[in-house]
Amino acid sequence: MSKDNGSSVAYKIFSFVVLIILAFLFIFPLYWILTGMFKPPAVINSPTPQWWPHEWTMRNITELFSRRTAPLFGEIALRVPGALRWLINTVFMAIMAMILTCITAAMAGYALAKKRFIGRAFLFSLIVAAMALPKQVILVPLVREISALGLYDNIWAVILPTVGWPFGVFLMKQFSEGIPGEMIEAARIDGASEFRTFTSVVVPMIKPGIGALAIFTFINSWNDYFLQLIMLTSNSNLTISLGIATMQAENSTDFGLIMAGAALAAVPIIIVFLLFQKYFTKGITMGAVKG
Amino acid sequence: MATVQLKNIKKVYPYISGEQKKSKKKDDQPQKKINLQITDEGVVAVQQFSLDIADKEFIVLVGPSGCGKSTTLRMVAGLEEITDGELLIDGKLVNDIPPKDRDIAMVFQNYALYPHMTVYENMAFSLKLRHVPKAEIDKKVREAAEILDITQYLNRKPKALSGGQRQRVAIGRAIVRAPKVMLMDEPLSNLDAKLRNEMRAEIIKLRKRIDTTFIYVTHDQTEAMTLGDRIVIMKDGYIQQIGTPQEVFNHPANLFVAGFIGMPVMNFFDAKLVREGSKYFVEVGGYRQELSPDKEERLLNHDVQSQEITLGVRPEHTDVNDEGVAARVDVAEMMGSSVHLHVNAEGHDVIIIVPTVDMKGNYEMGDTVHFSFDGKVAHVFSKETEKNLEF
Repeated sequence: MSKDNGSSVAYKIFSFVVLIILAFLFIFPLYWILTGMFKPPAVINSPTPQWWPHEWTMRNITELFSRRTAPLFGEIALRVPGALRWLINTVFMAIMAMILTCITAAMAGYALAKKRFIGRAFLFSLIVAAMALPKQVILVPLVREISALGLYDNIWAVILPTVGWPFGVFLMKQFSEGIPGEMIEAARIDGASEFRTFTSVVVPMIKPGIGALAIFTFINSWNDYFLQLIMLTSNSNLTISLGIATMQAENSTDFGLIMAGAALAAVPIIIVFLLFQKYFTKGITMGAVKG
Repeated sequence: MATVQLKNIKKVYPYISGEQKKSKKKDDQPQKKINLQITDEGVVAVQQFSLDIADKEFIVLVGPSGCGKSTTLRMVAGLEEITDGELLIDGKLVNDIPPKDRDIAMVFQNYALYPHMTVYENMAFSLKLRHVPKAEIDKKVREAAEILDITQYLNRKPKALSGGQRQRVAIGRAIVRAPKVMLMDEPLSNLDAKLRNEMRAEIIKLRKRIDTTFIYVTHDQTEAMTLGDRIVIMKDGYIQQIGTPQEVFNHPANLFVAGFIGMPVMNFFDAKLVREGSKYFVEVGGYRQELSPDKEERLLNHDVQSQEITLGVRPEHTDVNDEGVAARVDVAEMMGSSVHLHVNAEGHDVIIIVPTVDMKGNYEMGDTVHFSFDGKVAHVFSKETEKNLEF
């Protein structure tokens, strides 16, 4: 008995130590960004790091918002700082990707789960296979396709390719499978059309899944630096992460400015994550259990 | 408020690509629906199903799992395509008419209530889809709720209700529309025994109030006997017999029906049917009993000759006495008003029901008893075809 207790205490201590180290590894960069954005250039570029800023400055933030201007939206005359425009672009991109993915994935997942049609199993295997496909593999055809559609260097070039997200379809299929077939039949007998059945019966029942998917897509789209890097070029079309990257290339790198930009890019997503953390983990576990 | 005619209905579940091959591979797992006919087209779930249902009639489809009763009901509902044959509701061919335009309502086994809607919304849903004015919806929902005694639950969600209450809501959802035909697919099988008895009585009352055509599916012969105006007994996709509860109980068409209807199940013996001129006798274990005149007449009409038969006698139609078939007692079950004697007679396990008032002492395991039966309750079945020889 006492031996058991002893080993469980040791295990607890060990896991605590591991968790603390891991947490430190993950939190430190964030800490460095958040404190770095308030450090003067001399401090931030000095070879001896200053773990806690002795002198606080707003210079990096004001600098970030005074550099290069761009139209507030589209090609309108009102010009705003580039960073603000990038932020607007990113939010627009993430929200559109989220909405469109949720709509298409919910429909496709429901059809794959509940409709019997020829080639259903094949189609689903194809989608699962697509989940295993690295993005780099489809890059060239994707860029050609987007160019052919005349969408290159357009915000839609980073929205549309994310919409048919295979994982989203997979997740929605798993959720839709939980809907009893009788429920859909009851709706048919009650007189609901196919569309009405979907909106009035299916969607409310897979709501938790849609919630989880919405957060997944929002975060994914926000963080999809690779696709943004390939598809967007002109200053007013950049997303926040791309915008920060462009700062790096100019003259000597101003790390304070980059820290401020990185904070601007990271903070909204951290807020989203913290707000919806519960659904986020729920989405992962529910998908896992049902899968 | 409608007649329903099913004319030579057939349902084949076609193979979905690859399914046939798969099922052949599974050698270790014999096919579940082994008794259903399997053709090149697929599995035949229902065939040669013909039935005329009168206006306001209560029809019960009964049979063991996989007999095709639910499939038949779902074809009437429009949830399954009809492979062959004609389905007419109120004289109108509805084979290709979608469920919503058939003016039918259905109660499902697992209730199928929409979990995100309140009881009120569940019941109002179908009316809302039909653009019924709000005031009328409200009136109809409240009326139905009143009938089913669920008015106090109208604002609750289904998960806050018990099984019995959910079933009432499911029935309520069906009756608000005043459908031409009410379909019920094993509505009571998810309830516990006590609640099932209560709900059965409720359905009988409900039927009197809403007065429409009912088609009710169950695997429980008690439900079938108590609810149905007529019972359709099915097996392996075929109708075995159609008749009133009394008819199917007193005159089972074949061995299957005889064994399926009645509780405890009918006793069967290997016996001999002996014809002597216009008289018929059954002989089992040295006991000889003349059949009743009406049975003799029917056998005579079919010119049935002496032959080996399967004899069926219901447990409640046996008499314990000093002569008759000898049997050895295995178990005596005291049921209160009667004792169920499980005995072995002529190599078969047999149940004899002895009313407690007639009992002379106790029965012990290994005791020998004799029992006889009347000529009017002996059912004679062909050994070959298993059909009742009177038919």
